[in-house]
This record gives sequence, structure tokens and C-alpha cells, in this order.
Amino acid sequence: MTQATTAYQKPIPLKDIDNAPYWDAADQHQLALQKCDDCHAYSQPPGPTCAKCGSGNVSWEQLGDDIKATVYSYVVSYRPFLPGFQDELPTIIALAQLDNVPEVKIMGNILNCQEKDLEIGMPIQMTWVDITEDRALLQWIPVTN
Amino acid sequence: MGTIKDRYAIVGVGESERSRKSGTTPLHLALDAAHAAIKDAGLKPTDIDGFMNYNEGDSCTSHQLATYLGVRPKYVKDIQGGGASTEMLIADAVALIEAGQLNTVLIYRSMNGSSGTRVGRGYDPDMLQGALSGGSFVIPYGSASPSQWFGMYATRHMHETGITKEHLGHVCLSFYEHAQRNPKAFLHGKPLTMENYLATPDISSPFNIHDSCLELDEGNAIIVTSAEKAKDCTSKPVYIMGMAARQCHPHAHYWNDIDQVASDYVAEELYENAGVTPDDIDVASIYDCFSWVVMRQLEAYGFAKRGEVGDFVAEGNLKIGGKLPTNTAGGMLSEGYTHGMNNAIEIVRQLRHDYEGTDRQVEDCKIGICTGWAGPDIAGAMILRN
Ligand SMILES: [Zn+2]
Repeated sequence: MTQATTAYQKPIPLKDIDNAPYWDAADQHQLALQKCDDCHAYSQPPGPTCAKCGSGNVSWEQLGDDIKATVYSYVVSYRPFLPGFQDELPTIIALAQLDNVPEVKIMGNILNCQEKDLEIGMPIQMTWVDITEDRALLQWIPVTN
Repeated sequence: MGTIKDRYAIVGVGESERSRKSGTTPLHLALDAAHAAIKDAGLKPTDIDGFMNYNEGDSCTSHQLATYLGVRPKYVKDIQGGGASTEMLIADAVALIEAGQLNTVLIYRSMNGSSGTRVGRGYDPDMLQGALSGGSFVIPYGSASPSQWFGMYATRHMHETGITKEHLGHVCLSFYEHAQRNPKAFLHGKPLTMENYLATPDISSPFNIHDSCLELDEGNAIIVTSAEKAKDCTSKPVYIMGMAARQCHPHAHYWNDIDQVASDYVAEELYENAGVTPDDIDVASIYDCFSWVVMRQLEAYGFAKRGEVGDFVAEGNLKIGGKLPTNTAGGMLSEGYTHGMNNAIEIVRQLRHDYEGTDRQVEDCKIGICTGWAGPDIAGAMILRN
């Protein structure tokens, strides 16, 4: 990634009491997922209680930094609907299905990817982009070998 | 709701002018629509004792509308809502009349959808991150427009079912063709060919401008009353056979189950309440904020089997003369967009045979369906008869 010389223009994820562990982990280039201790479902995005059964017994599972996935669906956006995206069009927005936890899908941009190479089922790898001094954003890049 | 079958009716419909720059307020547009609907029903404003409205902070209040109609209403209600709210408020009106609280209810949607807030341009990023469940997992990636959110669902569904871009084009072409027969449609005089459609660049894949609804300044109104009271109206009543609404788990912005939509659940209850099957439906208004949304609902409401929806629309079945004439005034893709209410107005006019003797009338139609879709997670629908 190119090092940003000017201030980051795009929206920065807002931390709140429900999602802070997720974004704190992201800032350390790690993935953390919320999981229900009662029904064992993952909650992604995280919330105050389990969105599957309503239980308040939720905890956080650390999944590390080697996260592989496949493209479950995607949109190619040709217009900037938010500040900061005008210089990076078209923007690829994808829903990534995690290889190790297929019931969890995480949105992100696919970086370093040509639109013509994009397809459902293609393998992608999680990466992190440092967007400010102390914040990082989860992103995806195509797996090449 | 099964017990309400045929006991309530829509007795008046009306709309304001449609424009890009009305130079007026939603209150003026709502008054125009309300006057038209009241006249259509052959009522006086003071015959209306309940007023209801749905909006996204972009309309006048029901109390304001009643005030400037010279009415002291018994009941006013303004809800936050978009698609599917027409059907949900009609259900609320029926419930209040059934409970003996009200006699006749006017429901409206009025908005400066073009000169005021335009949904399609996206929303304020910080507002969305806070207001939307899971907003911070979506907004930082540049996804803030319904075209992007629905596009994510559409791409996956099209991949699974073999629906192509050209199939989406057939939905657009069918509705644009209807708009050419409707002098009040905003895109009247602007026909669409498949060649033009396919040559138009996408905004958010798989959608181009033709796949997206037409945001305008417009007001719409509908009047609901009991079958008994309908006899006092000068209009031909259109009876409500059945209604259903559903919120789907999980919330759309949870993104885990993008294969399911709320319409899947609404359909079963709707047909059971109305006592009919998809084969009995003669004419349809299918919520069309985007072309693909029509395809997914045709599947959900049983008009074509999963995997066969593309062929169904390519065969011209949505056109007048096809198996399921749909959005016969042009729909929200080409007539105008008021979060579904203009489509509800059209189904009433078709079932009253208001267009008799013209090429706009669906011949001998007796039963119609009107569906709403606020997003994949919220849907409402009703079945009507003449
Ligand atoms: Zn649980």
C-alpha cells in the first residue's frame, strides 16, 4: 500500500461498546469474532447480545492474522457515495466468506484486483491497511500463487 | 388478518403532479394528493377521521395535512418508513376501523424526493455508522447507497439462479413500455431498447440508471374504509382480500443470510389470508426500487420457480397481454417513486377498470397483488379484488 501523505479522507470505523474488541484487534492486525457461549453462533457484526438466540453470554474468539476466505458476493461501485472514494473508482466491495468459519461473512474492499478478474468463489486473503497513526482497517487481496 | 377478508376497501386514490423541481413543499404536494383522493371517493374532507403517513423525515406531518384540509381528526400517525409501509399502514387502518376507533382513514406519502433528500446519492457517513446496525462494518468500505446494498444481494442471487444482465433489462423494458402508454409517467416519451439498456454504464453493478427507481417530487394518497361505508362513496370499491407483513431475521446489515428475503415469509401468509394462489392473480404491482428486486419477489411470491425467473420476464410476461401484467403505469423505474404508493394506486385503478377501452387496461382483471419491500429484511403485501 502507498503510505498516505495527507489525512485519511474516508470514514473511519466508529468504535462503540459492542464492537470495540473487533476494531481494537484490527488495529493490531488481528481478527476477533464475537461468539455466543450458549448457542455457539458467531455474531458478525458484534452486538450487545447474540443475534441468533438473544443470550447475553457472549465472548470474543481470537482468530489471528492469517485469514483466508472466498468471495461470496460483490458490487463494483462506479460512483463515490462517500468522501474519499472519488479517487479510487471503481471501488470493489465484497462479502468474504471465511474458510475456517464459513457461517461468517465480512465485508471489505478487494485491493489490487482488476474488475475483469473478479468472480464469486475466488480466493482472497485478509490484510490490514494502516489508515491513521493508531487505526487499521481490515481489507482483502486476491490470493496469488 | 384472515377474518378481515373482503370487509374493507380502498375507495379513493390520488396523486400530485410529478416533477424534478416542484418549487413547493411536501405539504402542498400532500394536499394536492389528498384533495384528488377525496374527490375520487366522492367524500368530504371531514368524512376522514384518521390520517397516516410514512416518511424519512422528509414530509409534512399528518396533523399538518389534516389542519389544512380543515379537519379535526380523531387520530394521526406518522411513522419512519419506506417501502412496504403502504401495506403496513393500510393494515393499521383496517385494525383501527375494526376496533371501532375510526371510520375512514387517509394514508399518504409526500416527498421532495428529487429537489430535497435523494436516497440514491447515499447518506451522511457518521450518521449511518451510528444509526445503522453494523454501520461501521459497511460504511468505511464506501457502501452507503441502496444501489450498493441491494447489488450485493443481486450479484449472489444472479450467480445462483443464472439470471443475467439482459434479464434485468427485460424488467426495465416492460415497465418503460407501460410508461409510454401513461401520459402522467415521468418517462413518458422516453422509450427504452435493449441495445440502449445494455450500452448504459453501471452505477453500482449490476445496476445502471435504468435499473434504479426515479426519484421525484410527488405526493400520493389512498383512502381506506369499511365495505359498509364504501357504499356511500361514488367510486367503485376495491376490496382487500388479505394482507401480510414480516420482518426477517437477521437485519439486512448483518449480511450473513443474503439468500433469504422477508418476501419469502410474507408470501405464504398472504395467500393463506386471501384464500387464493398465484394462478388466481390477474395483475400485479411489484415493488421496484431496483429491477432485480422485482425478480427476487416474482420468485418469492410464486410467479416463477427459482431458476426460471429470467425466462419468465424474457417471455414478456410482465407486459400488458402477458401472464402477469406488472407495474402497468410504468412502476417506480419509469412512472415515479414514492416508496411504493404509486404502484398501489395503479393496482386500484386497474381493478376498477378505470382504463376501459384503452391499451392500458388489463382485460377482465379481477384480482391483483401489491407488494412492498423496504429492503431484503422487511416486506409487506396485499391482495385486492374488484
Ligand atoms: Zn446465541
